Amino acid sequence: MSTPTVTGGVRRLPVPARPAHPRRRVVGGIVTAVVVAAHVVAWTSTEVSFGALVEGWEGMADFLSEAIPPDLSWEVLGPSLDGALVTLWIGLLGTTLSVPLSLVLALLAARGTAPSGWVYQGARSLLSFLRAVPDVVFALIFVTAVGLGPFPGVLAIVCHNVGVMGKLWAEALEDADPGPPQALRSAGAGRIQVAAHALLPTVTPQFVGLLLYRFDVNVRSSLVLGLVGAGGIGFLINQSIQLFQFDEMLTHILVVLVLIVAVDQLSALVRRRLAPTT
Amino acid sequence: MLALSGITVRFGDRQVLSGVDVTVAEGELLAVLGANGSGKSTLLRAAAGLVQVHGGGVTVDGRPRGPLDVALVFQQIHLVRRRSVLDNVCSGALGRLPLRSSLVPALFPRVVREEAMACLDRVGLADRAHDRAGSLSGGQQQRVAVARALCQRSRIVLADEPVSALDPSAAEQVLALLAELAHDERLAVLAVLHQPDLARRHADRIVGLADGRVVLDGAPATLGTGAVDALYPASSVPELEAVS
Ligand SMILES: Nc1ncnc2c1ncn2[C@@H]1O[C@H](COP(=O)(O)OP(=O)(O)O)[C@@H](O)[C@H]1O
Ligand SMILES: [Mg+2]
Repeated sequence: MSTPTVTGGVRRLPVPARPAHPRRRVVGGIVTAVVVAAHVVAWTSTEVSFGALVEGWEGMADFLSEAIPPDLSWEVLGPSLDGALVTLWIGLLGTTLSVPLSLVLALLAARGTAPSGWVYQGARSLLSFLRAVPDVVFALIFVTAVGLGPFPGVLAIVCHNVGVMGKLWAEALEDADPGPPQALRSAGAGRIQVAAHALLPTVTPQFVGLLLYRFDVNVRSSLVLGLVGAGGIGFLINQSIQLFQFDEMLTHILVVLVLIVAVDQLSALVRRRLAPTT
Repeated sequence: MLALSGITVRFGDRQVLSGVDVTVAEGELLAVLGANGSGKSTLLRAAAGLVQVHGGGVTVDGRPRGPLDVALVFQQIHLVRRRSVLDNVCSGALGRLPLRSSLVPALFPRVVREEAMACLDRVGLADRAHDRAGSLSGGQQQRVAVARALCQRSRIVLADEPVSALDPSAAEQVLALLAELAHDERLAVLAVLHQPDLARRHADRIVGLADGRVVLDGAPATLGTGAVDALYPASSVPELEAVS
């Protein structure tokens, strides 16, 4: 050990050499090489080309000059607002209708409320599956099954949202304070009674917060679902692109913007209100 | 009323309780004292049937203990803070209610609510019935938890450090309440305490545990302070040893 030197009343000690970690260096090198290689492959596979971007610039300018100013006439704005409302209703119903199934699956997929290991694994797998299939894929399936329109959009949102919200709720259940459930179990309460009287009342604020967050996300998704024929303003956007009515399209996009910001603000506001009472 | 005889509990190859005999009579508040790790909580959990015993048994009035024979009171209280005080007390009755009359608080039968009100009155909090449980002070919450235990209709109440999380005056109140319930309602109350002076003031009898064995058993007046202090060896005081 070296002894501290004193210069100008300040004690100082030399920093010892850092021990060498040859293995860590090799692993670091390999990881870097793999990441770089993956990006090179991705770059070529996706045909990234600045040339195409520059050439496309003209088309982009044409597009914008046609889109601006947006067509704010009532013949366009009226249907646009109607479409936006349908999109909102798809998101709302899709969220609400997924509550019962999410609740049941969350209770079955949370340690502590799952009746057995098998049920737990089964519920987790089902949730993972529903989560893994994007809502657009569900929408395509339901459009084929029940035809064009908002209804397949609602079904698609329900399916995907059960997967996501069920998982989020199950995690909230697992993080809940185990004390009150333990107290009721010791008083002879059954599994369902413990969930109803100790667990669910404790996690209500978390559940509602997650529900609002999902409502927000689902309204955005229902917009995309419209693009594949599942109703709402997305359907109108798709139509105006196909008819080269870019000024109408811009109107629809502006309405969407207002809708999304409004839903986002509303859900954030309610969640803020909810937070202090937990 | 409650008799633990020859209770032996092992965790792995560690023997935590070695042949402990403890009885609690009807109308008696028994305080269990002992250093940290002496096995107090394990004894209580064995009495409640929450740990597996490797020897001995628990009887209530001479019969093997049934699932609803004992009610528990916890150090961390464990009320559902977002529910009303009355709903929390009612939940003590869940063990004897069918699901169709207990799925949500609105379904609790009127007789159960009225019984819960009487239990709340017994702990002096009838006027707070509709307040949120979380809005009460710690001492009041613990009294609500006692009311919930009463609503369970068990003749035996087991409390693990029920006042350790409370300020001194609330602790006095809760212990006075437990003693009063033991004497007036003829309950058998077993409370793990960690303050010997509280035990001396409120308990009818004190049992001292050391290393999983009963080393002390008697009325507070018959036990010298020296005997009680000996339960807490100097080494159980947090040590500030130099890290070498
Ligand atoms: N579930 C358990 N598994 C393993 N060891 C345990 C368990 N519960 C308690 N113990 C051990 O048993 C001993 C007694 O614990 P406890 O009864 O909680 O003591 P006290 O309540 O008197 O402080 C401690 O050494 C503790 O580590
Ligand atoms: Mg303990």
